[in-house]
Amino acid sequence: MYLYLTFLLLFPLAGAIIQLACLPLGGYRPPRRLAEAVACLASFGALAMAVLAFAAGHGGTFHLVLRKWLTLPGFTSEMSLLYDPQAALMGLMVTLVAFLVHLYSVPFMRKEEGWLRYFFLLNLFLFSMLVIVLADDLLFLFLGWEGVGFCSYALIGFWYQEPANCRAGRKAFLVTRIGDAALLTALALLFSRLGTLSLSGINLQVAGLPPHLVELTGYLLLVAAMAKSAQMPLQVWLPDAMAGPTPVSALIHAATMVTAGVYLLIRFLPLLTLAPRVMLTLAAVGAVTALLGAASALAQRDIKRVLAYSTISHVGFMFLGLGAGDMGGALFHLLVHGFFKSLLFLGAGCLIMLLDGEHDIFRMGGKLRRCHPALFWTFAAGIVSLAGVPPASGFFSKGEILAAVFQQSGIGYRFLLVLALAAVLLSSLYGFRLLLIVFFGQPAPGAPQDVKRPPPFLMVAVLYPLALLALTSGLLNLPSSTWLSGYLGSPAPQPGWIMNSLDTLLVLGGLGLAWLSYGPADRLGLRNPLSLGALHGPLLSGFGLDRLYLTCVARPYRVLADLLWRGVDERLVHRGLLAPGYFLSWCGQILRRASTGLLSTGLQGLLLGAAAIFCLLALRWWS
Amino acid sequence: MTIPSILFYLLAALVLGATALAVTRRRAVHAVLYLIVALVGMALLFLLLGAPMLAALQVILYAGAIMVLFLFVIITMPEQAPGFEKLFRRRWLLPLSLCLVVGLCLLPLVGSDPAASIGLTSARLAPRTFGIRLFRDYWYAVELVSLLLFVGLAGALYLGRTAKKAGPPTREESR
Amino acid sequence: MIVPFGHVLILAALLFLLGACCAVARRQLLMILIGVEIMLNAAALAFVAAALHWGRAEGQIFALFIIAVAAAEVAVGLALIVAARQRTGSTRADDFNRLRG
Repeated sequence: MYLYLTFLLLFPLAGAIIQLACLPLGGYRPPRRLAEAVACLASFGALAMAVLAFAAGHGGTFHLVLRKWLTLPGFTSEMSLLYDPQAALMGLMVTLVAFLVHLYSVPFMRKEEGWLRYFFLLNLFLFSMLVIVLADDLLFLFLGWEGVGFCSYALIGFWYQEPANCRAGRKAFLVTRIGDAALLTALALLFSRLGTLSLSGINLQVAGLPPHLVELTGYLLLVAAMAKSAQMPLQVWLPDAMAGPTPVSALIHAATMVTAGVYLLIRFLPLLTLAPRVMLTLAAVGAVTALLGAASALAQRDIKRVLAYSTISHVGFMFLGLGAGDMGGALFHLLVHGFFKSLLFLGAGCLIMLLDGEHDIFRMGGKLRRCHPALFWTFAAGIVSLAGVPPASGFFSKGEILAAVFQQSGIGYRFLLVLALAAVLLSSLYGFRLLLIVFFGQPAPGAPQDVKRPPPFLMVAVLYPLALLALTSGLLNLPSSTWLSGYLGSPAPQPGWIMNSLDTLLVLGGLGLAWLSYGPADRLGLRNPLSLGALHGPLLSGFGLDRLYLTCVARPYRVLADLLWRGVDERLVHRGLLAPGYFLSWCGQILRRASTGLLSTGLQGLLLGAAAIFCLLALRWWS
Repeated sequence: MTIPSILFYLLAALVLGATALAVTRRRAVHAVLYLIVALVGMALLFLLLGAPMLAALQVILYAGAIMVLFLFVIITMPEQAPGFEKLFRRRWLLPLSLCLVVGLCLLPLVGSDPAASIGLTSARLAPRTFGIRLFRDYWYAVELVSLLLFVGLAGALYLGRTAKKAGPPTREESR
Repeated sequence: MIVPFGHVLILAALLFLLGACCAVARRQLLMILIGVEIMLNAAALAFVAAALHWGRAEGQIFALFIIAVAAAEVAVGLALIVAARQRTGSTRADDFNRLRG
């Protein structure tokens, strides 16, 4: 068991390090196939270890200490792992999606120059994510947390020759930094109070903490998760993060990093459940984000941005589920979302590559459906799961969350339920809008017409298993079966038939509305980018939050930095240091006038000296 | 107010006035002439202060020989073509201010010294006594001074020889 | 009683300062020399007054020496001025600045 876990972590790390050995230094050309094979083997190894550990675990909980990391007086930190059923499931999903993304990336990166850097970062990312999944010691978890943040930044800005990509990477890093600061503060609070940074240790002792500390820590952890998982109002980095390569978006910004926030909250659930206000806030953040994310997705033109806002919306659902106390529902939705969202992203990547880099959905069209049916059907499977059409898995996961919210008492939760239902409708609406506009009907004039080339085999091949999982994984958690619920951690609140039918009604209603609005026949004339009218602006730009942050945060910071640079550093420090020199130089200039070489000057000096001596003597005589 | 004191103050005024005029003349000749007046006044002062021998020597040597030498040199040197030296007002600022400062320091000094308020009583050193003191007690100083006069004579002779004429001076210093 | 001793000293001092001003503020070499003469003369006056004050003859003897030294110095000085005038054609003090300080 311990062997499996150790190697689970070691494989991707080793993959990354081996690839460093392939750096093209000094004219040595690295063997490309070998390096790619090493990367894919590393992720396959991780997947294999995850499966083996799952099988050997039988739903139990294991602790493992790898080694001591830091030893300071009064504080030790060790690299310890906590392998409980949630970690087991998460590990499976992460390694599976990562492996498929690695395979997909090989043909995707065929023509790129920085492929070595890409695979190195991908392996490093996988290692960091697995650290987050498995870590027991919170400092070790923070290492993984920072690691995924860094890899995300590096991979978003992968094509760094474009300054916009670098800006997007920086933006992602800086916004998630807010979360990192909150997480560190929470860790410090916990350590100062409990004296330990071990997750299992903390979870055992939370009952003894004073309520205000629990609430404060809960809010801090919430902020950390919000930043990492791109929830309102910190969601601004995720749409811009689509500047990175599509497999990166599939892995990091759909299935793994953005769910790290949810996973962190799941790990801390014993602490969070002790603060009902935090739970309500968590649910509210989730519901609001779900609705606003879905609404924003309706206005987007770029296929990847639609999927990005969709991710924001669905992670909002997970937050809502957690806030309602349903860890199982949130985790289940997390797994399912990982499958169908990565499927959609990878499919979108194939489309973009086919159309030579075209991202605008209004320039894609019906020929795609006829020429590449595999792409169409897998993409449709993903959309169906996203919308939550029964019996696809999305239906079950969303249903469970809605049921959990419904079961909570209080006016707040009722209101959130309404928001969530509206979000369900909008999810279906934007999902089918995407499907219809991309694959049905006439493309806009000027769209690329030559779409008959087949996409690379590997890119399409990975879509099939994902589609299968997207459609069928709901069946693993049917009300009658308790097998998965043991892993999910809490008995699943099963939605009653009212909730189920309401859900289905909303989903199908969304489908119908989408067909009417965006269908190929275009009956309502809404099949254009600006069909939303006055709402289009705010929805497209993410409610102006970018501009708000720019004016309220970035600009004052710039002004302050400028002031400190010009005002303090240049004027005060620099010139201040030079001032004595200038002063001495000025004194010298003054004194220079005394040595003229003229006789008169000498006589004047003589008189001056004599008068001075005389006055001195006179003064001494007086006193 | 005795007569000697009135005389003293009159002579003092004369000497000071003549000296001041001598210092501020444009033409050197005028200055020398005023200076001669001042020197004669000084001789009278010496007389008042009981030094008749010195008064005579002052007139003979100082006003009579030295100033005449000045006049000779002035006569033999034509004035420079542009003419007279302009009295440059600004150049007087430093000397005058320094003199003011020194004067201000001096007056209280003199006023506070008890020895300075003692009145000078009239006395007279007879020339005979003067000569005896000079040549009997300070003969070595007389010898040295005559040596000095000899050196001065030799130097003046040497410097006064006709030399080759060099070019006009070049102004090397900016004003 | 003629005058208080201090008054004579003040007169000598004023004459000395006048001579100093003349030496410093005038540009012609001759005038500088005249300033020096005035200064020497003032010193001689002070010596004579001191001789009367203390009742000694040494003061007057030294005043004689001052006159003698003044004579020697004037001779050499005037010879210098004539020589300088002959060589460079100018008697302005500021023209003789090649020694620079």
